[in-house]
Amino acid sequence: MVTESLAVKFEELLEMPAFRDMPQEQLRRLAAVMTRYHYAPGQIIFVEGEPAGALWFVAQGRVKIIKHSLNGRIQGLCLMNRGKCFGSCPLFNMEKNPATAQALDEVTLFVLPDEAFQQLRARDPQVVKALLHVYSQRLQHLAQVSEALGAWTVADRINDCLLVYANREMQQPTVELTHEKLAALSGTVREVVTRHLNLLEREGIVRNETGRIIILNFDALLPPCAGEMQRSPE
Amino acid sequence: MAVSVELLAQIQLFAALSPRTRRCIAEKAVWAEYAAEAVLYRQGDPPTALYVLQTGRVKLYRQSKDKCQILALPVPGDCLGAESLPTGAPSPYSATTLTPVTAIYLSPDVLQPLLDEHPDFQEVFLRLITDRLKQFVTLVHDLAFRDVTSRLATVLLARAELEGQPHDEGIVFDRLLSQQEFAEMVGTAREVVYRVFKKFEDDGLIRITRRCILVRDLDALRAIALQEAH
Repeated sequence: MVTESLAVKFEELLEMPAFRDMPQEQLRRLAAVMTRYHYAPGQIIFVEGEPAGALWFVAQGRVKIIKHSLNGRIQGLCLMNRGKCFGSCPLFNMEKNPATAQALDEVTLFVLPDEAFQQLRARDPQVVKALLHVYSQRLQHLAQVSEALGAWTVADRINDCLLVYANREMQQPTVELTHEKLAALSGTVREVVTRHLNLLEREGIVRNETGRIIILNFDALLPPCAGEMQRSPE
Repeated sequence: MAVSVELLAQIQLFAALSPRTRRCIAEKAVWAEYAAEAVLYRQGDPPTALYVLQTGRVKLYRQSKDKCQILALPVPGDCLGAESLPTGAPSPYSATTLTPVTAIYLSPDVLQPLLDEHPDFQEVFLRLITDRLKQFVTLVHDLAFRDVTSRLATVLLARAELEGQPHDEGIVFDRLLSQQEFAEMVGTAREVVYRVFKKFEDDGLIRITRRCILVRDLDALRAIALQEAH
Protein backbone atom coordinates (compact mmCIF):
# COMPACT_ATOMS: atom_id res chain seq x y z
CA MET A 1 0.00 0.00 0.00
CA VAL A 2 1.18 3.45 -0.88
CA THR A 3 0.97 6.00 1.87
CA GLU A 4 2.26 9.06 0.06
CA SER A 5 3.84 9.94 -3.27
CA LEU A 6 6.07 12.83 -4.29
CA ALA A 7 8.36 13.92 -7.09
CA VAL A 8 12.02 12.84 -7.16
CA LYS A 9 14.82 15.41 -7.38
CA PHE A 10 17.69 14.69 -9.73
CA GLU A 11 20.23 15.43 -6.98
CA GLU A 12 18.83 12.46 -5.09
CA LEU A 13 19.54 10.16 -8.04
CA LEU A 14 23.20 11.19 -7.96
CA GLU A 15 23.53 9.17 -4.77
CA MET A 16 22.53 5.95 -6.55
CA PRO A 17 25.55 3.99 -7.86
CA ALA A 18 23.74 3.27 -11.14
CA PHE A 19 23.35 6.98 -11.94
CA ARG A 20 26.64 8.31 -10.68
CA ASP A 21 28.24 8.68 -14.12
CA MET A 22 25.14 9.91 -15.89
CA PRO A 23 25.15 13.43 -17.41
CA GLN A 24 22.97 15.90 -15.49
CA GLU A 25 20.63 16.43 -18.38
CA GLN A 26 19.76 12.71 -18.58
CA LEU A 27 19.37 12.56 -14.82
CA ARG A 28 16.86 15.42 -14.86
CA ARG A 29 14.76 13.62 -17.47
CA LEU A 30 14.96 10.37 -15.51
CA ALA A 31 14.01 12.05 -12.24
CA ALA A 32 11.01 13.64 -13.95
CA VAL A 33 9.43 10.24 -14.73
CA MET A 34 10.22 8.66 -11.35
CA THR A 35 7.94 8.68 -8.33
CA ARG A 36 8.70 8.58 -4.62
CA TYR A 37 6.87 6.01 -2.49
CA HIS A 38 6.89 5.52 1.26
CA TYR A 39 6.32 2.22 3.05
CA ALA A 40 5.86 1.45 6.73
CA PRO A 41 7.76 -1.41 8.42
CA GLY A 42 6.28 -4.75 7.36
CA GLN A 43 4.39 -3.42 4.33
CA ILE A 44 4.50 -5.59 1.21
CA ILE A 45 5.85 -3.73 -1.83
CA PHE A 46 5.07 -6.43 -4.35
CA VAL A 47 4.31 -10.13 -4.34
CA GLU A 48 6.14 -12.98 -6.05
CA GLY A 49 4.32 -14.07 -9.21
CA GLU A 50 2.51 -10.76 -9.77
CA PRO A 51 3.15 -9.03 -13.11
CA ALA A 52 6.30 -6.93 -12.88
CA GLY A 53 6.39 -3.48 -14.42
CA ALA A 54 8.85 -1.18 -12.72
CA LEU A 55 12.33 -0.70 -11.34
CA TRP A 56 12.57 0.19 -7.64
CA PHE A 57 15.51 2.07 -6.15
CA VAL A 58 15.99 2.15 -2.37
CA ALA A 59 16.45 5.76 -1.23
CA GLN A 60 16.09 5.06 2.48
CA GLY A 61 15.56 2.08 4.77
CA ARG A 62 15.87 -1.63 4.01
CA VAL A 63 13.77 -3.92 1.85
CA LYS A 64 13.61 -7.65 2.44
CA ILE A 65 13.48 -9.93 -0.60
CA ILE A 66 11.66 -13.19 0.18
CA LYS A 67 10.92 -16.30 -1.84
CA HIS A 68 8.01 -18.66 -1.23
CA SER A 69 8.07 -22.37 -2.07
CA LEU A 70 4.99 -24.06 -3.56
CA ASN A 71 4.38 -25.49 -0.09
CA GLY A 72 4.41 -22.08 1.52
CA ARG A 73 7.89 -22.26 3.03
CA ILE A 74 9.55 -18.86 3.20
CA GLN A 75 13.18 -18.18 2.47
CA GLY A 76 14.66 -14.76 3.04
CA LEU A 77 17.11 -14.10 0.23
CA CYS A 78 18.64 -10.75 1.01
CA LEU A 79 18.18 -7.22 2.23
CA MET A 80 18.31 -4.31 -0.19
CA ASN A 81 19.63 -1.18 1.44
CA ARG A 82 20.15 2.40 0.24
CA GLY A 83 21.32 2.63 -3.37
CA LYS A 84 20.25 -0.89 -4.30
CA CYS A 85 17.73 -1.61 -6.99
CA PHE A 86 15.21 -4.38 -7.60
CA GLY A 87 12.29 -5.14 -9.90
CA SER A 88 11.83 -5.97 -13.57
CA CYS A 89 13.96 -5.05 -16.55
CA PRO A 90 12.12 -2.37 -18.59
CA LEU A 91 13.68 -3.53 -21.86
CA PHE A 92 12.73 -7.18 -21.76
CA ASN A 93 9.52 -8.53 -20.53
CA MET A 94 10.47 -10.26 -17.30
CA GLU A 95 6.77 -10.98 -16.89
CA LYS A 96 6.48 -11.82 -13.21
CA ASN A 97 8.20 -10.76 -10.03
CA PRO A 98 10.63 -13.56 -9.13
CA ALA A 99 10.29 -12.80 -5.40
CA THR A 100 8.31 -10.83 -2.82
CA ALA A 101 9.57 -7.46 -1.53
CA GLN A 102 8.70 -6.26 1.98
CA ALA A 103 9.71 -3.11 3.85
CA LEU A 104 11.80 -4.00 6.90
CA ASP A 105 11.71 -0.50 8.40
CA GLU A 106 10.57 2.95 7.23
CA VAL A 107 11.36 2.74 3.53
CA THR A 108 11.48 5.34 0.75
CA LEU A 109 11.65 4.06 -2.82
CA PHE A 110 12.10 5.78 -6.18
CA VAL A 111 10.03 3.98 -8.78
CA LEU A 112 10.77 3.93 -12.51
CA PRO A 113 7.83 2.47 -14.47
CA ASP A 114 8.78 0.34 -17.50
CA GLU A 115 6.70 2.47 -19.89
CA ALA A 116 8.33 5.69 -18.79
CA PHE A 117 11.74 4.16 -19.31
CA GLN A 118 10.79 2.97 -22.80
CA GLN A 119 9.72 6.49 -23.77
CA LEU A 120 12.92 7.93 -22.39
CA ARG A 121 15.04 5.44 -24.29
CA ALA A 122 13.40 6.36 -27.59
CA ARG A 123 14.93 9.83 -27.16
CA ASP A 124 18.20 8.80 -25.60
CA PRO A 125 19.53 5.26 -26.14
CA GLN A 126 22.38 5.88 -23.68
CA VAL A 127 20.08 5.60 -20.64
CA VAL A 128 20.42 1.83 -21.13
CA LYS A 129 23.84 2.25 -19.54
CA ALA A 130 22.23 2.82 -16.15
CA LEU A 131 20.39 -0.49 -16.50
CA LEU A 132 23.62 -2.30 -17.37
CA HIS A 133 25.02 -1.08 -14.08
CA VAL A 134 21.93 -2.14 -12.14
CA TYR A 135 21.79 -5.65 -13.56
CA SER A 136 25.51 -6.24 -13.42
CA GLN A 137 25.38 -5.42 -9.71
CA ARG A 138 22.43 -7.70 -9.14
CA LEU A 139 24.07 -10.58 -10.99
CA GLN A 140 27.01 -10.30 -8.68
CA HIS A 141 24.72 -10.42 -5.70
CA LEU A 142 22.78 -13.45 -6.93
CA ALA A 143 25.97 -15.39 -7.69
CA GLN A 144 26.86 -14.82 -4.06
CA VAL A 145 23.44 -15.91 -2.82
CA SER A 146 23.61 -19.08 -4.96
CA GLU A 147 26.92 -19.99 -3.41
CA ALA A 148 25.72 -19.16 0.07
CA LEU A 149 22.75 -21.48 -0.33
CA GLY A 150 24.56 -24.32 -2.06
CA ALA A 151 28.07 -24.62 -0.77
CA TRP A 152 28.17 -23.07 2.67
CA THR A 153 27.61 -24.79 5.97
CA VAL A 154 24.75 -23.61 8.18
CA ALA A 155 27.30 -21.79 10.37
CA ASP A 156 28.64 -19.96 7.30
CA ARG A 157 25.11 -18.93 6.33
CA ILE A 158 24.28 -17.56 9.77
CA ASN A 159 27.58 -15.64 9.87
CA ASP A 160 26.84 -14.22 6.44
CA CYS A 161 23.40 -13.07 7.58
CA LEU A 162 24.91 -11.31 10.60
CA LEU A 163 27.32 -9.44 8.32
CA VAL A 164 24.69 -8.50 5.76
CA TYR A 165 22.09 -7.34 8.26
CA ALA A 166 24.44 -5.57 10.69
CA ASN A 167 23.70 -1.89 11.11
CA ARG A 168 27.18 -0.41 10.83
CA GLU A 169 26.14 3.13 11.56
CA MET A 170 25.96 2.31 15.26
CA GLN A 171 29.03 2.49 17.43
CA GLN A 172 29.30 -1.27 17.31
CA PRO A 173 27.71 -3.17 14.42
CA THR A 174 24.33 -4.42 15.63
CA VAL A 175 21.90 -6.91 14.14
CA GLU A 176 18.33 -6.17 15.19
CA LEU A 177 16.71 -9.44 14.19
CA THR A 178 15.17 -12.22 16.27
CA HIS A 179 16.66 -15.71 16.13
CA GLU A 180 13.51 -16.77 14.31
CA LYS A 181 14.11 -14.20 11.55
CA LEU A 182 17.81 -15.06 11.34
CA ALA A 183 16.82 -18.71 10.91
CA ALA A 184 14.46 -17.86 8.04
CA LEU A 185 17.12 -15.68 6.41
CA SER A 186 19.81 -18.37 6.64
CA GLY A 187 17.60 -21.32 5.71
CA THR A 188 17.65 -23.14 9.04
CA VAL A 189 15.64 -23.40 12.28
CA ARG A 190 15.69 -21.19 15.39
CA GLU A 191 17.38 -23.80 17.62
CA VAL A 192 20.40 -24.03 15.32
CA VAL A 193 20.74 -20.22 15.22
CA THR A 194 20.57 -19.98 19.03
CA ARG A 195 23.18 -22.71 19.46
CA HIS A 196 25.51 -21.06 16.95
CA LEU A 197 25.11 -17.60 18.50
CA ASN A 198 25.92 -19.02 21.94
CA LEU A 199 29.07 -20.55 20.46
CA LEU A 200 30.04 -17.22 18.87
CA GLU A 201 29.46 -15.49 22.22
CA ARG A 202 31.75 -17.95 24.01
CA GLU A 203 34.44 -17.17 21.41
CA GLY A 204 33.99 -13.44 22.06
CA ILE A 205 32.80 -12.73 18.51
CA VAL A 206 29.31 -11.48 19.41
CA ARG A 207 27.32 -10.41 22.47
CA ASN A 208 23.71 -11.60 22.59
CA GLU A 209 21.18 -9.13 24.01
CA THR A 210 17.40 -9.27 24.02
CA GLY A 211 16.18 -8.67 20.46
CA ARG A 212 19.62 -7.85 19.13
CA ILE A 213 23.12 -9.14 18.55
CA ILE A 214 26.18 -6.91 19.01
CA ILE A 215 29.10 -7.85 16.76
CA LEU A 216 32.41 -7.56 18.62
CA ASN A 217 34.70 -9.08 16.00
CA PHE A 218 33.43 -8.32 12.52
CA ASP A 219 36.35 -9.93 10.68
CA ALA A 220 35.89 -13.28 12.42
CA LEU A 221 32.51 -13.57 10.69
CA LEU A 222 33.84 -12.92 7.19
CA PRO A 223 33.32 -15.87 4.85
CA PRO A 224 36.33 -17.56 3.20
CA CYS A 225 35.80 -15.77 -0.12
CA ALA A 226 35.29 -12.28 1.35
CA GLY A 227 38.70 -11.07 0.25
CA GLU A 228 37.78 -11.71 -3.35
CA MET A 229 34.32 -10.19 -3.32
CA GLN A 230 33.02 -6.73 -2.71
CA ARG A 231 30.45 -6.77 0.01
CA SER A 232 29.41 -3.14 -0.27
CA PRO A 233 26.27 -2.32 -2.28
CA GLU A 234 28.34 -0.77 -5.05
CA MET B 1 42.43 -16.00 -36.63
CA ALA B 2 40.01 -13.26 -37.61
CA VAL B 3 36.29 -13.44 -36.92
CA SER B 4 34.03 -12.86 -39.90
CA VAL B 5 30.87 -10.78 -39.96
CA GLU B 6 29.03 -13.84 -41.31
CA LEU B 7 30.03 -15.87 -38.26
CA LEU B 8 28.73 -13.15 -35.93
CA ALA B 9 25.45 -13.01 -37.87
CA GLN B 10 24.92 -16.71 -37.11
CA ILE B 11 25.02 -16.13 -33.36
CA GLN B 12 21.42 -15.88 -32.23
CA LEU B 13 22.07 -13.12 -29.75
CA PHE B 14 23.93 -10.94 -32.26
CA ALA B 15 21.28 -11.33 -34.96
CA ALA B 16 19.46 -8.22 -33.67
CA LEU B 17 22.52 -6.00 -34.20
CA SER B 18 22.81 -3.59 -37.11
CA PRO B 19 25.24 -4.68 -39.89
CA ARG B 20 27.46 -1.73 -38.96
CA THR B 21 27.71 -2.79 -35.30
CA ARG B 22 28.41 -6.39 -36.34
CA ARG B 23 31.20 -5.16 -38.61
CA CYS B 24 32.76 -3.13 -35.80
CA ILE B 25 32.60 -6.11 -33.43
CA ALA B 26 34.10 -8.45 -36.06
CA GLU B 27 37.05 -6.08 -36.46
CA LYS B 28 37.85 -6.30 -32.75
CA ALA B 29 36.98 -9.93 -32.06
CA VAL B 30 39.59 -12.68 -31.89
CA TRP B 31 39.20 -16.43 -32.39
CA ALA B 32 40.46 -18.31 -29.32
CA GLU B 33 41.16 -22.00 -28.62
CA TYR B 34 41.61 -23.65 -25.24
CA ALA B 35 42.54 -27.13 -24.01
CA ALA B 36 40.33 -29.02 -21.56
CA GLU B 37 40.59 -27.87 -17.92
CA ALA B 38 41.90 -24.42 -18.89
CA VAL B 39 40.94 -21.57 -16.55
CA LEU B 40 39.34 -18.77 -18.62
CA TYR B 41 39.04 -16.43 -15.64
CA ARG B 42 38.77 -16.55 -11.87
CA GLN B 43 36.26 -15.21 -9.38
CA GLY B 44 37.73 -11.95 -8.07
CA ASP B 45 39.54 -11.11 -11.33
CA PRO B 46 39.04 -7.60 -12.74
CA PRO B 47 36.15 -7.45 -15.28
CA THR B 48 36.87 -10.21 -17.77
CA ALA B 49 36.60 -10.63 -21.55
CA LEU B 50 33.38 -11.68 -23.25
CA TYR B 51 33.48 -15.22 -24.68
CA VAL B 52 30.99 -16.49 -27.26
CA LEU B 53 31.26 -20.25 -26.99
CA GLN B 54 31.55 -21.94 -30.42
CA THR B 55 32.45 -25.54 -29.59
CA GLY B 56 33.12 -27.44 -26.36
CA ARG B 57 31.85 -26.94 -22.82
CA VAL B 58 32.67 -24.70 -19.87
CA LYS B 59 31.62 -24.67 -16.21
CA LEU B 60 30.89 -21.43 -14.31
CA TYR B 61 31.39 -21.74 -10.55
CA ARG B 62 32.12 -20.06 -7.25
CA GLN B 63 34.61 -21.48 -4.82
CA SER B 64 35.35 -20.91 -1.15
CA LYS B 65 37.71 -22.98 1.01
CA ASP B 66 37.41 -26.51 -0.36
CA LYS B 67 33.79 -26.13 -1.41
CA CYS B 68 32.53 -25.33 -4.86
CA GLN B 69 29.15 -24.36 -6.33
CA ILE B 70 28.67 -24.79 -10.08
CA LEU B 71 26.39 -21.98 -11.30
CA ALA B 72 25.92 -22.84 -14.97
CA LEU B 73 27.09 -25.04 -17.87
CA PRO B 74 26.90 -22.87 -21.00
CA VAL B 75 26.44 -24.63 -24.38
CA PRO B 76 27.84 -23.55 -27.79
CA GLY B 77 26.16 -20.31 -28.86
CA ASP B 78 26.03 -19.01 -25.28
CA CYS B 79 28.06 -16.06 -24.03
CA LEU B 80 29.97 -15.85 -20.78
CA GLY B 81 32.19 -13.36 -18.99
CA ALA B 82 32.29 -9.57 -18.76
CA GLU B 83 29.18 -9.44 -16.57
CA SER B 84 30.88 -7.15 -14.05
CA LEU B 85 32.24 -4.73 -16.67
CA PRO B 86 29.47 -2.10 -16.18
CA THR B 87 30.25 -1.77 -12.45
CA GLY B 88 33.98 -2.43 -12.63
CA ALA B 89 33.58 -4.94 -9.79
CA PRO B 90 35.58 -8.19 -9.62
CA SER B 91 34.25 -11.15 -11.61
CA PRO B 92 31.50 -12.83 -9.56
CA TYR B 93 32.50 -16.37 -10.59
CA SER B 94 35.22 -18.49 -12.24
CA ALA B 95 35.10 -20.21 -15.64
CA THR B 96 37.03 -23.41 -16.53
CA THR B 97 36.78 -25.52 -19.69
CA LEU B 98 35.48 -29.10 -19.33
CA THR B 99 36.49 -30.10 -22.88
CA PRO B 100 38.63 -28.47 -25.59
CA VAL B 101 36.90 -25.18 -26.43
CA THR B 102 36.79 -22.67 -29.26
CA ALA B 103 35.31 -19.23 -28.66
CA ILE B 104 35.01 -15.73 -30.05
CA TYR B 105 36.93 -13.50 -27.66
CA LEU B 106 36.32 -9.79 -26.98
CA SER B 107 38.75 -8.31 -24.47
CA PRO B 108 37.46 -5.78 -21.89
CA ASP B 109 39.56 -3.06 -23.60
CA VAL B 110 37.67 -3.39 -26.86
CA LEU B 111 34.34 -4.22 -25.22
CA GLN B 112 33.93 -0.92 -23.36
CA PRO B 113 34.32 1.36 -26.44
CA LEU B 114 32.03 -0.96 -28.43
CA LEU B 115 29.36 -0.61 -25.74
CA ASP B 116 29.80 3.16 -25.55
CA GLU B 117 29.49 3.63 -29.30
CA HIS B 118 26.76 1.14 -30.16
CA PRO B 119 23.48 1.39 -28.24
CA ASP B 120 22.21 -1.77 -30.00
CA PHE B 121 25.21 -3.70 -28.65
CA GLN B 122 24.48 -2.24 -25.22
CA GLU B 123 21.01 -3.77 -25.37
CA VAL B 124 22.36 -7.14 -26.48
CA PHE B 125 24.82 -7.02 -23.60
CA LEU B 126 22.02 -6.14 -21.18
CA ARG B 127 20.08 -9.12 -22.51
CA LEU B 128 23.11 -11.33 -21.76
CA ILE B 129 23.24 -10.11 -18.19
CA THR B 130 19.51 -10.43 -17.54
CA ASP B 131 19.48 -13.94 -19.08
CA ARG B 132 22.26 -14.99 -16.73
CA LEU B 133 20.36 -13.31 -13.90
CA LYS B 134 17.21 -15.33 -14.64
CA GLN B 135 19.35 -18.48 -14.62
CA PHE B 136 20.67 -17.57 -11.16
CA VAL B 137 17.16 -16.79 -9.87
CA THR B 138 16.10 -20.32 -10.85
CA LEU B 139 19.20 -21.78 -9.25
CA VAL B 140 18.55 -19.87 -6.03
CA HIS B 141 14.97 -21.14 -5.95
CA ASP B 142 16.12 -24.73 -6.48
CA LEU B 143 18.81 -24.51 -3.83
CA ALA B 144 16.43 -22.92 -1.35
CA PHE B 145 13.41 -25.15 -1.77
CA ARG B 146 14.22 -28.43 -3.49
CA ASP B 147 15.91 -31.37 -1.83
CA VAL B 148 18.99 -33.02 -3.35
CA THR B 149 17.02 -35.76 -5.16
CA SER B 150 14.76 -33.20 -6.80
CA ARG B 151 17.72 -30.97 -7.68
CA LEU B 152 19.63 -33.81 -9.33
CA ALA B 153 16.52 -34.76 -11.32
CA THR B 154 16.22 -31.09 -12.39
CA VAL B 155 19.83 -31.03 -13.61
CA LEU B 156 19.41 -34.26 -15.60
CA LEU B 157 16.11 -33.08 -17.05
CA ALA B 158 17.47 -29.68 -18.10
CA ARG B 159 20.46 -31.26 -19.78
CA ALA B 160 18.32 -33.90 -21.53
CA GLU B 161 16.10 -31.15 -22.92
CA LEU B 162 19.00 -28.90 -24.00
CA GLU B 163 21.64 -31.38 -25.15
CA GLY B 164 19.86 -34.71 -25.54
CA GLN B 165 19.89 -36.91 -28.66
CA PRO B 166 17.16 -39.46 -29.38
CA HIS B 167 18.12 -43.05 -28.50
CA ASP B 168 16.29 -46.42 -28.76
CA GLU B 169 15.59 -46.39 -25.05
CA GLY B 170 15.13 -42.67 -24.44
CA ILE B 171 17.35 -39.58 -24.61
CA VAL B 172 21.13 -39.67 -24.35
CA PHE B 173 23.68 -36.90 -23.65
CA ASP B 174 27.38 -36.60 -22.80
CA ARG B 175 28.04 -37.22 -19.14
CA LEU B 176 30.57 -34.34 -19.07
CA LEU B 177 30.68 -34.11 -15.26
CA SER B 178 32.27 -36.30 -12.59
CA GLN B 179 30.23 -37.39 -9.58
CA GLN B 180 32.01 -34.67 -7.62
CA GLU B 181 30.93 -32.04 -10.18
CA PHE B 182 27.32 -33.24 -10.08
CA ALA B 183 27.57 -32.73 -6.32
CA GLU B 184 28.88 -29.21 -6.90
CA MET B 185 25.93 -28.41 -9.16
CA VAL B 186 23.33 -29.24 -6.51
CA GLY B 187 25.29 -28.33 -3.38
CA THR B 188 25.83 -31.73 -1.79
CA ALA B 189 28.50 -34.39 -1.21
CA ARG B 190 29.74 -36.91 -3.80
CA GLU B 191 28.43 -39.84 -1.75
CA VAL B 192 24.90 -38.42 -1.86
CA VAL B 193 25.04 -38.13 -5.65
CA TYR B 194 26.23 -41.75 -5.86
CA ARG B 195 23.28 -42.89 -3.75
CA VAL B 196 20.66 -40.86 -5.64
CA PHE B 197 21.95 -41.90 -9.07
CA LYS B 198 21.98 -45.55 -7.92
CA LYS B 199 18.34 -45.22 -6.88
CA PHE B 200 17.44 -43.60 -10.23
CA GLU B 201 19.21 -46.50 -12.04
CA ASP B 202 17.55 -49.16 -9.88
CA ASP B 203 14.15 -47.61 -10.60
CA GLY B 204 14.88 -47.68 -14.33
CA LEU B 205 14.84 -43.89 -14.78
CA ILE B 206 18.39 -43.49 -16.09
CA ARG B 207 21.51 -45.42 -17.04
CA ILE B 208 24.96 -43.94 -16.50
CA THR B 209 28.19 -44.99 -18.17
CA ARG B 210 31.57 -43.30 -17.95
CA ARG B 211 30.82 -41.18 -21.00
CA CYS B 212 27.06 -40.92 -21.33
CA ILE B 213 23.82 -40.55 -19.43
CA LEU B 214 20.72 -42.18 -20.84
CA VAL B 215 17.37 -40.88 -19.56
CA ARG B 216 14.88 -43.74 -19.93
CA ASP B 217 11.85 -42.27 -18.18
CA LEU B 218 11.57 -38.54 -18.75
CA ASP B 219 8.11 -38.26 -17.14
CA ALA B 220 9.15 -39.97 -13.91
CA LEU B 221 12.23 -37.74 -13.71
CA ARG B 222 10.03 -34.68 -14.31
CA ALA B 223 7.70 -35.69 -11.47
CA ILE B 224 10.66 -35.92 -9.08
CA ALA B 225 12.12 -32.63 -10.33
CA LEU B 226 8.89 -30.78 -9.55
CA GLN B 227 8.76 -31.84 -5.91
CA GLU B 228 9.54 -29.16 -3.37
CA ALA B 229 10.74 -29.78 0.16
CA HIS B 230 8.37 -29.12 3.07
